[in-house]
This record gives sequence, C-alpha cells and structure tokens, in this order.
Amino acid sequence: MVALRIAIAALVAAASLAAVPAAAAAEDSTLIIGMTVPIENPNIWALNSSSEWSAVTLQYDMMLKFSDDDLSAAPSLATGCEPNSDYTRWTCAIREGVTWSDGTPLTSRDIAFTYRFVIDQGFPYFSGYFPEGSTFETPDDNTLVWVTPEPSRGPEVPAWVYVVPEHIWSPYVGKTNKEIKQAPTLPTVSSGPYVMTEAAPGQSWTFERNPYFWGDEPAYDRIVYRLYTNQEAMVQALKNGEIQIADGIESALLPAVEAIPDVVVQKITADSWTNLAFNFGGQDPASAPLRALQDVRVRQAIAMAIDKQAIVDKAYQGVASPGETIIRPLSVYWHLDIPDDQLIPYDPDGANAMLDEAGYARGDDGIRIDPETGDRLVIRMPTSNDTPGSEIAGKLIASFLQQIGIEVNAQPVSAGKIYDMQQSGDFDAYIWYWSGDPDPNYQLSVFTSAACGDLSDGCWRDPTYDALVEKQAATLDQDERLAIVREAQQYVYDQVPAIPLAYPNAIVAYRSDLVTGLTPVPAGDGYLTPSYSYTGLVNARPASSGGEASAPASPGASAEPGAPQAAPTQAGSTGVPVWIWVLVAAVVVVILAVVVVRRRSATERPDTH
Amino acid sequence: MRSGALDLRFVARRAGYALLTLAFILAVNFFLFRIMPGDPIALLARSQRLSPEALEEQRRAFGLDQPLLVQFVVYLRETLTGQLGVSLVSGVDVVDLIASRLWPTVLLVGVGTLLAAVIGVLIGIRGGWRRGSAFDSSSLYSSLVLYSTPEGWLGMLLLLLFAGWLGWFPAGGFSSAGLALPVLALSLGYVGQYAIVMRSSMIEVKAQPYITLARAKGLSDPDVRRRHAVPNAVLPTFTLVVLSVGFILGGAIVIETVFSWPGIGLLTYEAINTLDYPVLQGVFLVSSAAVILAAFIADIAYGVIDPQVRQS
Repeated sequence: MVALRIAIAALVAAASLAAVPAAAAAEDSTLIIGMTVPIENPNIWALNSSSEWSAVTLQYDMMLKFSDDDLSAAPSLATGCEPNSDYTRWTCAIREGVTWSDGTPLTSRDIAFTYRFVIDQGFPYFSGYFPEGSTFETPDDNTLVWVTPEPSRGPEVPAWVYVVPEHIWSPYVGKTNKEIKQAPTLPTVSSGPYVMTEAAPGQSWTFERNPYFWGDEPAYDRIVYRLYTNQEAMVQALKNGEIQIADGIESALLPAVEAIPDVVVQKITADSWTNLAFNFGGQDPASAPLRALQDVRVRQAIAMAIDKQAIVDKAYQGVASPGETIIRPLSVYWHLDIPDDQLIPYDPDGANAMLDEAGYARGDDGIRIDPETGDRLVIRMPTSNDTPGSEIAGKLIASFLQQIGIEVNAQPVSAGKIYDMQQSGDFDAYIWYWSGDPDPNYQLSVFTSAACGDLSDGCWRDPTYDALVEKQAATLDQDERLAIVREAQQYVYDQVPAIPLAYPNAIVAYRSDLVTGLTPVPAGDGYLTPSYSYTGLVNARPASSGGEASAPASPGASAEPGAPQAAPTQAGSTGVPVWIWVLVAAVVVVILAVVVVRRRSATERPDTH
Repeated sequence: MRSGALDLRFVARRAGYALLTLAFILAVNFFLFRIMPGDPIALLARSQRLSPEALEEQRRAFGLDQPLLVQFVVYLRETLTGQLGVSLVSGVDVVDLIASRLWPTVLLVGVGTLLAAVIGVLIGIRGGWRRGSAFDSSSLYSSLVLYSTPEGWLGMLLLLLFAGWLGWFPAGGFSSAGLALPVLALSLGYVGQYAIVMRSSMIEVKAQPYITLARAKGLSDPDVRRRHAVPNAVLPTFTLVVLSVGFILGGAIVIETVFSWPGIGLLTYEAINTLDYPVLQGVFLVSSAAVILAAFIADIAYGVIDPQVRQS
C-alpha cells in the first residue's frame, strides 16, 4: 500500500523534475542566491527554516514593517497608525491602490482577515503578537481599527505577521492546521516584489517579479534560491559565477571566500548570540546546581576571568563581536551598549582577589573550596554542538577559569541532550544560544521567574528583574519603555545569571562584478538577503549591463571581459533531459563491456596452447 | 530431479522470513528514533519565537502528547493503511516527500551501482584469471585504495578539481551535468568491492578440477574462462549486486550531501538534524523494505542459478 502510493507519487515527481532544467533557461535577468538551509514547504503557514522566512519575507508585506534603518516600526501596507487617548483603539490608514499579485485589490479587510485567521488558528509564530481579546474593524477599504480591552502598543511593536489575501485563504477558515499547511500555494498570491512560481524540493525555488508590486520596481526579473548542502561547493559556485550571492557561509571558509577576486563579504550582526547560562535549580526535584554559583560574587569573578575577545578570535575566527547584554545589537533600537565605566573588565587577578575576599580559599590542588559546603568548585558545563563555536569557547573558558581556581568540565553534547538538561536542571552551567525578535519583550521574558520550567535557561529568579520586565511591557510611551529596557539589560549584566559570550556574525558574500545595489537591513552590518525586509534585493541590480551570472544561457552576452569561467555555468542549464544522460551512461557501459571482452579474447588467444 | 523448477516450499519459507523481518523493522523503526535525546517540538522553540501554548498546540497536533504506546498503535494503523504521516517540520505528507526524492536517488545511486558493478566485475575477471600479472597487481592495489577511501573525501576532491579548479561541472544541485561528478564519486567508491570479490572467486574457481578438465579437452583459454570459469565465479558477485540494488533506495547520504543532490540520502540527513520522526520512519521503512525485498530476490534467484542452495 505504502509502496504503491510512493511509486505513483514518485512517477509524478520524476516527470516534473525531468522538466526543471530545461525550463530555467531564459534571457531575462536572474539573480541566483546560494543557500545552505532548505525550503521544505513554500506554504506560508508551514514557515520554519531561515530560508523559508527569507522566502516569505521576499513575497509578503506586513501592515507596519521593520524599518530598514533600525528595525523599529515603519510604514508598509499601512502608512501609519494612531492610538486613542488610552491606547485601546489604534486606527491605521491603509495605503491606497495596492493590488495582490493576481490583480485583486488589497484592502483593510485582507489585513483584518489575516489577523483573525492567525489568532483563530493559533499559528505558532504569528499569534503571539495579539493581546488577549484583540478585535478588528474595517469601516472602509483603507481603514483598519485594532481594538484591545487593555491599553496596548498594538500595531507599533510591529506585529511580525505577513498579510495574506482573504480571497485565497478564506476557504481554509476552520480547517485544521495540518490541512492548511498542505494547501497548494504556487504561484503565490502576495503583495511583495516577488512571487514564488516554482519549487523543486531539496534543490531550488524560483521567484518571478510581481507585476502589481506597489513599491519601486525591482531590477531583476527573477530570483532563484539554490540549495547547497555542502559549504565548500557553494563557495566554488560563487567563484565560478554559478551564483551571484552566497548566503550563510561558515566562518571557517572566510579566508577561501576572501581570496576570490571581486567578492565582497558582508559580516552581519546576526540574530543569534552565544550564551553561557548558570543554573539556579528548582526545575525538578533532581536538579542539583552548584551552590557557589548562586553567589553573585562568584558569577562576577567568572565573568571577569573570561577573555571574550579571545573567544571571538579563536572560536569564531574573529567573525563575531564580544557579547555584552542579552538584547543583541541587531535590535539596534533596543540594544544597550554598556558604558565603559560599567563594563566588567577582563581581569584574572581582580577575579582571584574577589574570590579570595569572598572566602573561597584554594585547596591543595589549587582548586577553590566552597566555605559553606566544603565542596571543590568544579563546574559541569556542557556545550551544545548545534551552536557554532561553543565547543572551542568551552575549552577556552575551562582554561580561563583554571587560572582562578575553578575546574570546568566542558563536554560537547547534542542540542537534544542540552534541552533535556535544561528541563531537568541537572547541570551547573551550559553554553547554548538565543535568538529572538527585534522587539525585546520575548528575549527579556525568558530570563524572568515565570519562564522557569519553560524557556528559562537556569531558572534565575529575581523580583527586581521581573518587575522591570513587567513594567516595560506595560509602558506605552516608546521613550520611557526604552529607558526601562536598557535598565533591565544593565541589571542582568551586573547580576550575571548568564554571560553573553559572543555575538557571532552571519556571513554573506557576493560577486561585486555581477551584482550591485544590495542594501543591508538594518543599515550598516545588516542582512542583504530578506530577513526582516525585502529592501536589500529590491535595490539589487546587475553590476554592469549584462554582467549577470549564470542561469541565462547566453554565452557571449557581454559578460565582463575578465569575468572568469562563464562556461561552466552553461553546463548546469543546458536543458538536456536527464533520461538522455541515463541512456548515454547505459550505452557507455555496454560498449565498454563489449570492447573489453572482445579485446581480451583477441589478445589472449595466442598464448593458449 | 527438479531441474531449474522453483521449489514452492522454498519460496514460501523465504517469503515468510522476509515478512517476519519486515514486521520486526516496523516495530524497531518506531522506537529507534524516540530513544534519541531531545524533543523535536522544543528544538523548534529555541530559534523561533514560540509561546508555551503554541508548543503544546504543536505537540497535540502531531499526537506527541499521547502515551508512547498509543502513538505506536496509531503508527501501526496508519502505516498499514498506506499513510506515513506528515513531516513535523514542514507539514508535507511523508509519502510525497519521499516520492519527490526517489527519482534523483534512483538515478544517482542506480547509475553509480551499475557502472561500478560492470567495471568492477570486468576488472575482477581479468585480474583473477591472470593472478600476479601487472594488470592484476595494479588493479588490486587501486581497488583496495578506492574501497578504503572515504567517499565524502573523494567527492570533495572531485568537486574541487572538476567544479572548482577546471570548472567543467556545476558545484552541486540536480541537473543533467550535475549528475556526472556524484556518479563518478560513487562508482569509484563502489568499484573496488566488486573487483575484489570477483577476483577472489575467479582465483578459487580457476583451481577447480573442471577447469583443468576443460583445458584438457583442448578448449582455448578465453573459452575456458567464458564458458566454465566466469559463470561459476560470478555467483558471489551476483548476490552482492542484487543486495546493492536494494540499498539504492536508501540513497547515498554522504555523496548526496557533498553534491547537494536532492535524494533520499539528503532527506535523511535533514530529518536527522531536525528530529523529524515521521520522515525518518518513512525513509527507514522504505529503504529497509527495499533491502529485504532485494535479499528475498537474491535468495530465490540464487536458488534458480545454483541448485545446491535449494537442496541444502
């Protein structure tokens, strides 16, 4: 039964796959981006991997978007939103003349539909942006009113929810999420600059320019995301001009990438950051954290003994910046740069003095003893092998802490194992990572007492901090809230329930001789490919007339005179159906067999007697 | 004498074994992946913003909140009715997911196995027949070297040479030209084992009395080899080939990953990374069923080719 179903589906799939290489040839301008994470399901409601986020961000609009400068709320489908006096009613003006990619007008009703759909279906990534009891009114096509029972910042966060067309998705209201995720979606109907038209699972995703896009017309007719499961191969493809942009390069390959002529490397202030978390216990009766780590003086001494710059240099080949606060710098608006006079300096001698003063005397073997329990200061600190750089960081920290009389067992384990430890509380410290919204609420909340037993790393419980987080959530004035968010960051930095070790950079590289105009979002060290906004790719254009890279099967098409190896790329898109290659292989095998047998018979006959 | 005719009792017994193995696989398949540490849903939460309620909802949707035994019964019922569930990560039907990866894998591993088998057997015949010749020693050494070379490393070398340096082929991906390098890597990796097995059984056969008899009859050396030696020596290699055909559906995890080839192997690799139980179960079920089927066919065919097997 299973076999039959698979066989039938495989035949259908094979038929469609065989057609793919031929279809790609075109004379239009195509931007090809190498990716290392697959898109499994182009359906927006099945959103999961970073490539899928990127694909959705390229196609859809939010009501208010993340600004290209600092990721704060900025006009998009709505030109602006105004609250009433008590912030329970936000009135948003929806842009006029916006059309879906199938020509249907986009109105406030589409936005209200999307928000209700998301809330009713409880879509995991989207539904968290709506305060309990949110309702939506659409007095006319260009006005959306967002009503909440309690005062709220409503649309201003902004709600990271992509607006979908009501006329496409209304038939799915009330269906299960499973059914909705399996809905066919290609070609996408959306309002952004590009729509996905083809998805070849495990290999490539093609987006065509949306003729109805309301913003500036993008230069490229087509964008292709091509999957590379081997980073070396992606770098070779960039070198050969098979792709113009390589996204998500690991830092170990940076020297190889930088050696390629005409390649520009962008080191992006990334989403995720590497975190050393201490355990405070209480998750589970079995949880057994080290007592000494409950002592803030010990934690501060540890922070002082860790050379973060060395971690950046050795664990991340310099492609990172030293960690400071729990809100990473990508959240430009909210991140606090700790003032110099407040920084905990790298000072092993100072750390030693602090521990001496606190009464943790060294034992005979040089390891300090807890004066209360008489235990040696030995920290079980596993590192997560799904977090780049964490293993090396763990080894470095073990050697740093050795100098202040603390022994560290830094054993790399799987992410699943770390998760089990986090749930049971059976660890003293660990190195893992965090990643969150541009808005700080989520990241701040995972360090509160309420997050214990759920997302909290080590169940740190501090009433002062909890109060700060609660207060920022309830503060409606942006400037006031900013001040509280910064205070909370400083507080965590001083109390050291966790040590942000590094903010690793994501690396994207592109061929400056082939593509230009890529705009980072947020400005400066931001993403070039869609992560928070499609602006980067909308502004992209071929570097010189016809200087585009690969798919186009136009051999002499005025490529740069020096553009090396334009030829290999043709091979990938010659359009020869796959079955011909199979046939060729079979024929070769047969000929080979015949020739070998014949030749042998001929040559060996003489010596038989 | 039942010359050549298939003994039905023999076939039935073999089929029984095959079904028993399949049933065992079916059960192991379920529990194997659940022993792995971690919680697939929680792994999603770390990198994305999921509320505890949303996590619970996800768990419910996939039945992961049910006791293991209940999950097992549901799994058995669904598998027996042709459903392999949907991917925890992408929400795509596992049957469709596997089907979409089947053709690339059959193409790559199938062509690779075929090429390796044919070339390996030819090398083995020639080397074994003239043991100690220059051809034999050079082919034996290169077979051993290729056989022991990690295929991922070999693949990387080919990639850097032909895609990176010479620029003759694309650096990865599913295309007609892109097939060349992974097939080459696979064939080179597999050819050694066929050559070695074929060679040793040629050497063994060559010492048999009936070969001496054939020579005594005055047959030419190529005739002795073609009519008497090869048909007998090919039996062990035949088993190897049929079993390898069974393994085709399992894909080639390393080679497919190196060359970004969208086959079953790559699907497995991705599913392991995300603890995608239904996908892993589906892939393992399909690939183990293929191996069991191939082994069954090998048994039966062997019985036809070599009567000694049936009688024992």
